[in-house]
Amino acid sequence: MQSDTIHLIGVYLKTTAKAWFQYRVDAIMRSLAVFLREATGVVVIYLTLMKFQDLNGWNVYEMLFLCSLLFLTYGILIIFFTGLRDFGNTVRKGEFDRYLLRPRGLLFQIIFVNADWFAAVGHGCLGISLFLVTAGKVGVVWNVGTVLYYLFAVLGGVLIQGAIFLLLAALNFYLLETDSLKELLYYDMKKFAAYPISIYSKVIQICMIYVIPFAFVNYFPAQFFLRKQDGAVYPFACLYLTPVVGGGVYLLAYLFWRYSIRYYKSSGN
Amino acid sequence: MDGLITVEHLHKSYRISKRGKGIPGMLANLVAPKYEKKDAVKDISFQIAEGEMVGFIGPNGAGKSTTIKMLSGILYPDSGQILVDGKVPYRQRKQYVGNIGVVFGQKSQLQWDLPVIDSFELLKAIYRIPDQTYKRNLARFTEMLDMQEFLKQPVRQLSLGQRMRADIVAALLHDPKIVFFDEPTIGVDVVGKETIRTFIRELNAQDQITMLFTTHDMQDIEKTCKRLLIIDQGNKVYDGALSGIREMYGTTRTLDLELQTEVQVAPIPHVTISRPDDSNPRKWQLQFDHHAVSVQELMGFLLATYPVRDLNISEPEIESIIRNIYGGRQSE
Repeated sequence: MQSDTIHLIGVYLKTTAKAWFQYRVDAIMRSLAVFLREATGVVVIYLTLMKFQDLNGWNVYEMLFLCSLLFLTYGILIIFFTGLRDFGNTVRKGEFDRYLLRPRGLLFQIIFVNADWFAAVGHGCLGISLFLVTAGKVGVVWNVGTVLYYLFAVLGGVLIQGAIFLLLAALNFYLLETDSLKELLYYDMKKFAAYPISIYSKVIQICMIYVIPFAFVNYFPAQFFLRKQDGAVYPFACLYLTPVVGGGVYLLAYLFWRYSIRYYKSSGN
Repeated sequence: MDGLITVEHLHKSYRISKRGKGIPGMLANLVAPKYEKKDAVKDISFQIAEGEMVGFIGPNGAGKSTTIKMLSGILYPDSGQILVDGKVPYRQRKQYVGNIGVVFGQKSQLQWDLPVIDSFELLKAIYRIPDQTYKRNLARFTEMLDMQEFLKQPVRQLSLGQRMRADIVAALLHDPKIVFFDEPTIGVDVVGKETIRTFIRELNAQDQITMLFTTHDMQDIEKTCKRLLIIDQGNKVYDGALSGIREMYGTTRTLDLELQTEVQVAPIPHVTISRPDDSNPRKWQLQFDHHAVSVQELMGFLLATYPVRDLNISEPEIESIIRNIYGGRQSE
């Protein structure tokens, strides 16, 4: 990467952080609000598990460890992919024109031009808190291998979700409205992923492994550390495939994006 | 003439989804959407030389914005060629857009929540503007547009006129060779408009920047451009000097006549006679084509025949000429 590109990334990050944290108290409150909103979901899981002891063999800490990966990857994801998450709006308002008028890569600009720092801080903090609370209690042994595995798993998880955002963003060139599709392909899948996929019907399991590979974001990486009984039905290789699946689907989404850009129709004034 | 901008037989059409009425129409649209083809730009050709400043006008929906968007590489044409500064805008986007500046009066490119200067700093990084160039341009433009006082204010607190000035500077910081202005004075008050016009004029004169700009305000055109391009319903209807348009379309002269007594003015060949003011029977208005009727003879005749108190001949305003050009096609 050229030095002026890195410089530009720096300026972009500085600018977005400045815009989002312009009012400090407000920014902290909003980040906290995101944190608490997401934390209620965690509390529900916690209370449920208090009643049932375990879910398909997963105890409450193991469940929360599973969730921590979701929050952590989303916290990182949203620093880079806010522009793609909100891309439908950008196209509808005709703001994509402005990206086309600047002598930089389009996807590069979209990725760095905005970052939802409230979501990043809220989800990120929740993910890290859950990780800190649970990692010691679920029997994870940390060594160079597992740390490296963890880092690559997080990277892969970010890429898988990024690929879904990218795919949906590219669909905006054909359809004007993709919000409900995003609800179905991303947010609903994410809700499913908060629990071990083995509790669902076969159809949903296949969907989460082969169609929208959300299982690789948190279920298989968590299984790598926990080796719960319910995971025995899936191919063993799945435990190691997160970075590969992440890179693969992201590449596919990127190719689709490149192909779709030509269908862009600017909106009128 | 080899122009800096060459446009040949440019054509662009849109598909507009055509929806039936009510719920049955909506359902039908869902099953088998119907599209209607609408031509936004039809076979337009023109050339613009380096350093020229061209006013680009036409009624709403005439195809001005579509043309500007194709020239700036945002839209692909359906057919025809565009060559700007030796490049094809929509094919060589990244190399091309570094050399142009685009101002959309209706869409700001500034960061809404941040001080103006922050947006400029971001543009400096995006366009890789060298420090020296950036400082020089910033100092020069803020001086010319009197922007010192609001450079550190967030954009959302600016008046429309201030925001527009900041947006114009934003499009110029990287020393573009060509600038497209799409309604740069829209919604700006009289003083603000004048500041913008003066700036544009000076910039064109001093830096030889080639400019094309659309507007609905004929004052903008009269005060800045020598050449005018008029399009209507996707067709080019006029391309030439601003003064030429008077020769071509504005040949009607109006003669306002006030007599000392209430005398009936008798019909004169090729002259339309009317009474503009019902309450004053001594006032008459005569309209004629100055190629068909000699002004000198007509005046001589009137002065010799009637007891004239006052007489005034006026050329049509450029604005009403344009209105006639637009209106002409409706009556065709």
